[in-house]
Amino acid sequence: MTSNSVYEACKSALSISDTSKLSLQEAVDRQEQLLECTVSSNADSINSFFLIFASALVFFMQAGFAMLCAGCVQKKNIQNTMLKNLLDVCGAALGFYTVGYAFAYGGSYGESTGSNKTFIGTSNFFLAGVDDVMFWVFQFAFSASCATIVAGTLAERCQMTAYVMYSIVLTGFVYPVVVHSIWSPQGFLSAHASSPLWGSGFVDFAGSTVVHFTGGFTALIAAYMLGPRRGRFYDDRGKLLITPNPMPGHSSALQVLGVFILWFGWYGFNVGSAVSITGPGQPYVMSLAAVNTTLSPASACLSAIIVNYFLAERKTGEGEFSLKASINGCLSGLVAITGPCAVVEPWAAIIIGLLAGPIYLLSSEALVRFRIDDAVDAIPVHMFNGIFGSIAVAFLASPSRLELVYGHSDHAGLFYSGDGTLLAAQVCGLLFVLAWVAALMTPFFLLLNKLGWFRTDAITEITGLDQSYHGAANLDADDHSLGPKPISPFQRTIAGPNVRVSVLDNSNSDHGSRFNVRTSTLDDSGPPADGA
Amino acid sequence: FPSQTRTGSCHLSKIPKIVNSKPEPIMTPASGVYDACKSTIPVNTTNSDTAVQEQILQCIASSNANSIDTFFLIYASSLVFFMQAGFAMLCAGSVQKKNVQNTMLKNLLDACGAALSFYAVGFAFAFGGSYEEENAGKTTFIGTSYFFLVGMDDVMFWMFQFAFAATSATIVAGTLAERCQMTAYLCYSLVLTGFVYPVVVHSVWSPQGFLSSNRDDPLWGCGFIDFAGSTVVHFTGGLTALVATYLLGPRRGRFYDFRGRLLDTPNPMPGHSAALQMLGAFVLWFGWYGFNTGSAISITGPDQNKIISIAAVNTTLAAASSCFSALAANYIIAERRTGEGEFSLKAAMNGCLSGLVAITGGCAVVEPWAAVIIGLFAGLIYLFSSSALIRLCIDDAVDAVPVHMSNGAFGSIAVGLFGSPTRLELAYGHSNHVGLLYSGDGILLGAQFCGVLFVLGWVTLLMFPFFCILNYFGWFRSDVLNEIAGLDASYHGARHVDVDGVDMELVAQLRSQPKNSRNRFSRSSAEPNLSTTNLDSSDVSM
Repeated sequence: MTSNSVYEACKSALSISDTSKLSLQEAVDRQEQLLECTVSSNADSINSFFLIFASALVFFMQAGFAMLCAGCVQKKNIQNTMLKNLLDVCGAALGFYTVGYAFAYGGSYGESTGSNKTFIGTSNFFLAGVDDVMFWVFQFAFSASCATIVAGTLAERCQMTAYVMYSIVLTGFVYPVVVHSIWSPQGFLSAHASSPLWGSGFVDFAGSTVVHFTGGFTALIAAYMLGPRRGRFYDDRGKLLITPNPMPGHSSALQVLGVFILWFGWYGFNVGSAVSITGPGQPYVMSLAAVNTTLSPASACLSAIIVNYFLAERKTGEGEFSLKASINGCLSGLVAITGPCAVVEPWAAIIIGLLAGPIYLLSSEALVRFRIDDAVDAIPVHMFNGIFGSIAVAFLASPSRLELVYGHSDHAGLFYSGDGTLLAAQVCGLLFVLAWVAALMTPFFLLLNKLGWFRTDAITEITGLDQSYHGAANLDADDHSLGPKPISPFQRTIAGPNVRVSVLDNSNSDHGSRFNVRTSTLDDSGPPADGA
Repeated sequence: FPSQTRTGSCHLSKIPKIVNSKPEPIMTPASGVYDACKSTIPVNTTNSDTAVQEQILQCIASSNANSIDTFFLIYASSLVFFMQAGFAMLCAGSVQKKNVQNTMLKNLLDACGAALSFYAVGFAFAFGGSYEEENAGKTTFIGTSYFFLVGMDDVMFWMFQFAFAATSATIVAGTLAERCQMTAYLCYSLVLTGFVYPVVVHSVWSPQGFLSSNRDDPLWGCGFIDFAGSTVVHFTGGLTALVATYLLGPRRGRFYDFRGRLLDTPNPMPGHSAALQMLGAFVLWFGWYGFNTGSAISITGPDQNKIISIAAVNTTLAAASSCFSALAANYIIAERRTGEGEFSLKAAMNGCLSGLVAITGGCAVVEPWAAVIIGLFAGLIYLFSSSALIRLCIDDAVDAVPVHMSNGAFGSIAVGLFGSPTRLELAYGHSNHVGLLYSGDGILLGAQFCGVLFVLGWVTLLMFPFFCILNYFGWFRSDVLNEIAGLDASYHGARHVDVDGVDMELVAQLRSQPKNSRNRFSRSSAEPNLSTTNLDSSDVSM
C-alpha cells in the first residue's frame, strides 16, 4: 500500500463503487462509514507509532540502568554487572512473552470478560490471540525496568544463575499479578475498572508502585538475604567498621550518563503510559505528564544536594556538593512523579520533587544504619520514593486531571477535597503489593540461599567476579586497590581451584557464605589476608 | 472541545492559540476520535445535515492534528533534552580525571536549575502573552504573563522551550570546567535561563519581539531569521562562555607556569577519555535532529512536512561537511607546521559540532547544497577561532566558544547569504528579502547583522557585570590549591576514584587547613600561603 491509500482501502472495504444509485440517506450513511473507517485507521497508525516511540525510549532505559551500575561498581566487577543488565532484559522478554503478559492482561480486553474482577489473567499465553502486539512491547519494556532495578543493588556479590532465575520469576509471575491488580480493567485495585474500589481505585498512572516499588522492594529483600559486600560494613575478621567503607564506583561520568539516559527514557515511560495519543483529551494528559517529569526531578536534585550540603556541613564543618546525592535525588524525583505525573498540577510536581530528595537521603542513611548494602542506592530511590509517589497522589491529585485521565473524580486528593477515600485506596494498594512481593520473593531467595546458588564465595568476591566467572584477563580488573584487600599471590596459590570455580560447583565449596550470610567472614582455615 | 488551530504557515506563530482551550472532559479516555467528535453534536440533529457533517469533520481533523503535534513536540523535546547527556559526556571526556565529578555535577545542576527558573519566570519573560489575541501586532521587549505556567494550557510548548534554555545554559559548563566554583555556576545558570536568555527569545521568536520574523510587520520586511537558534541559543551561550572565561582566567598551567611566566607552547591539557568525547558528539548530533526539526513546532498543516524534512537533511549535511573540512584543513596546517600531517580527533569532532551549530539558524531556509557550503566554512571558522583564542590566552576546556559563539554568529550571517526564496516563503510566509546570493539584496543580511549585534550587546551588558560581581566577592574561581588537587577531592569528597595523578597527601593537608584559608571573600587571584604546603615536593606535573 502506498502512503495515500487509507482512503482507497476504506472505500474498497465498504464496497462503495457507485453511489449514484443510492438514496440520499444511504449515501450519507456510506459517507459516514467511510469517514469513520479512515479516522480510525489513521488513529491506529498514530497510536502504534506513539507506542513504538514510547517503548523504544523505555527500552533505552536499560542502557541507563546499565551505565549507572557500571559507574557505581568497582572496576573488577564490571563485566559481571553488565552481563546481569543484559540478561535480565533478555530473560524478561522471554518470561513476559511466554506467561507474564498472559497473567497480566490475559483476556482483559476481550468482549466476554466484562467487568468481572479477577486476580490473574488466564489467556493469551505466548501472545496467542493478541492482535495489538505493540502493547506487549510497551508492557515488556516496563517489566524489564522492574527487573533491572535489582541488578545494581546485588552487584559485586551475587551469582549469575540466581540472578537469571530471579529475573524470570519476577517478570513471569510476581510482577504480572501486580500489573493485573492495578492496571487491568479486571484488577480488584484498578482505577480503570468500571466500578473501581471505593469509587476511586488505586491511582498509579505510570507505575510508582507497580514498577518501582515492586522492583525496589524485591531489591530490599534480596539485599537483606545476600548480606553486604565484603569490606563494606565489616573488616576481614568480621569486626564492625567504625565508618562504613563507601566503596565508591569507578566512574562518575558513566553514572551521570546513566542518569541522563534514564531521565530521557522516562519521557517514554510516563508519557507513554497514556497508551493512546488520539482522542481529544489525550494530548493534554501527555503534555502534563512530560512537564511534570521535568519539574519533579529538577527540584528533587536541587533539594537533595542542598540538604546533603547542610548535613555534611553540620557533621564535618565543611559542606560538600555530593554528586551521588544529586544524581540519586534526580532519580528519586523521577520515581516519585511516575505515579502522579498525569494527575497533579506542575506546582504539585515541584512539591513532590522537593520532598523526594530528602526522602532519598533519609532512607539511604537508614539503610546504612541497618547495614543493608545497596551498591547503587536503588532501594532508597525506587522503593521509598515509589511509596512516596503513590501516597502523594492521594494528597495532590487534582479533580479535573483525574477526570481527564480516568473519567471519574469522585474522590480527589486530600488537599482538594478533604476526602480520605483516595488515601485509603492508595495505602491499600501499597500494602497489597508489599504483602504479595514479600510472600513470594522471601521464600524464593531463601531457597536460592539454602541451595548455595545465591552468593558468590569469598575468594571469588575479593578477586572480582570478572576474573572468576568471565575469564577477564586483567582488562577492566586492573585496580585491586579499590577492593577491600588485594589478594596476594600466596593466597591465589592456596585458593587455587576455588578461584575459578564454576557456578554449579559452587555449592560444594566451603568458602560460600550461605547459612550465615550476614556475619560470615573469610574461612578461618584460609591464610590471613595480606595487607600489602 | 479545544481546537488549536495550527495554520502551518509560519514558524512559531502557529503554536498555542491558547484562548478558550480549557479541556472539556466529555469522553472516556479510550474512546475513539470519531465517537468523541460525534458526541459533541446535539442529538436531535440529523445526519443529513451537511453543516453537522462538516462540524464533525473539522472536529476530527483538529483533534488528530492536535494529537500528532503534541506527539511531535514530545519527541523533539525528549531528543533536545537528551543533548544534556551529550554535553555532559563531551565535557567528561575533555577534562582531567581529577575534575570529572565536578564537571558532571555542573551539567546536571544546570539542567535542573534551568527547569525551575524557566518554569518560574523564564517562560513568562520569553512568551508571556505572546499568543493572546489582544496583544497581536504589539511590540514588547519582554513577556509579562504565564509566571509559574499559570494560565498556560499548551504546556508541551513550555517543555520544548525549557529544553532549549537548558541547552543554552549548559554550553558554558565545559568552558569553565576545572576551575570554577559550584555556587557561581549555579547562580549563573539561574540568571541566564531566568532572564538573559528569555529576553533574547522574546525579541527573536515571539510574535511581539522587535526582531522577530514571525510578526505581521517584521523589521525591514523580513525580520531576523533564526529558525532553530544559531544566535538565540548558541551565540548567547557561547558569548556568555567567552565573557565568563575571560574573567575567570585560564586554568593553572595552561598558558603560564607556576611562577607566572608565559609558556613557550601552551599546555594542551588533553581530556582523559576520547571515547566519552565521541559518545558526547554523537549524542549531540542525535539530539540535534530534535532541535532543528522540532523548531517547526507543528508537523501538521500543508508543507510543514517539507520544512521539517529539509531541516533534517541540512542538519546531516552541514555536520558531515564541516567535519571533513576541519579535519582536512587541520591536517594541512599541521603538515606545514611540523612536516607531518595528523588526523586530529579533536578537530574532526569539534568541526562536526561547528557544522551543527552553523546550520541551526538556517536549517529550514537553505537548500542542501548551501548546507554543505555552510558546513565547509564552519569547520574552517572553528579552527581559526580556536587558535585565535589560544593566541589571546583565553582558555576554553572544551572549545565551546569557537564552536558555539563563532559558528552561531556565522550561521545567522549565512542565512543572509543563502536564504532561499521558496524555503523562506514556506517557513515564514514572506520572502520579500532573501539571501544575497539569490537576489543581490542586502536587506536580509543587514537584519541578520542587526540581530547578532543586539544579542551581543544585550548579553555582554548583563553578563559582564554579573561575572565581575561574582569575581569581586571571590565566589567565582576556586582557589589555587583546590584547583591543583582537583575539584573532586576539594568540593565533592572524592577519595580515590577519578582522581589518579593527584597527590592525596596534598589533598589531606588542604582539607585539614582551617576553613577561613579558602579565599571566599578575597579576590580569586589572591595566592594562598604557599609555604604551608608542599607544592614543590608534589610537583604537580604542569
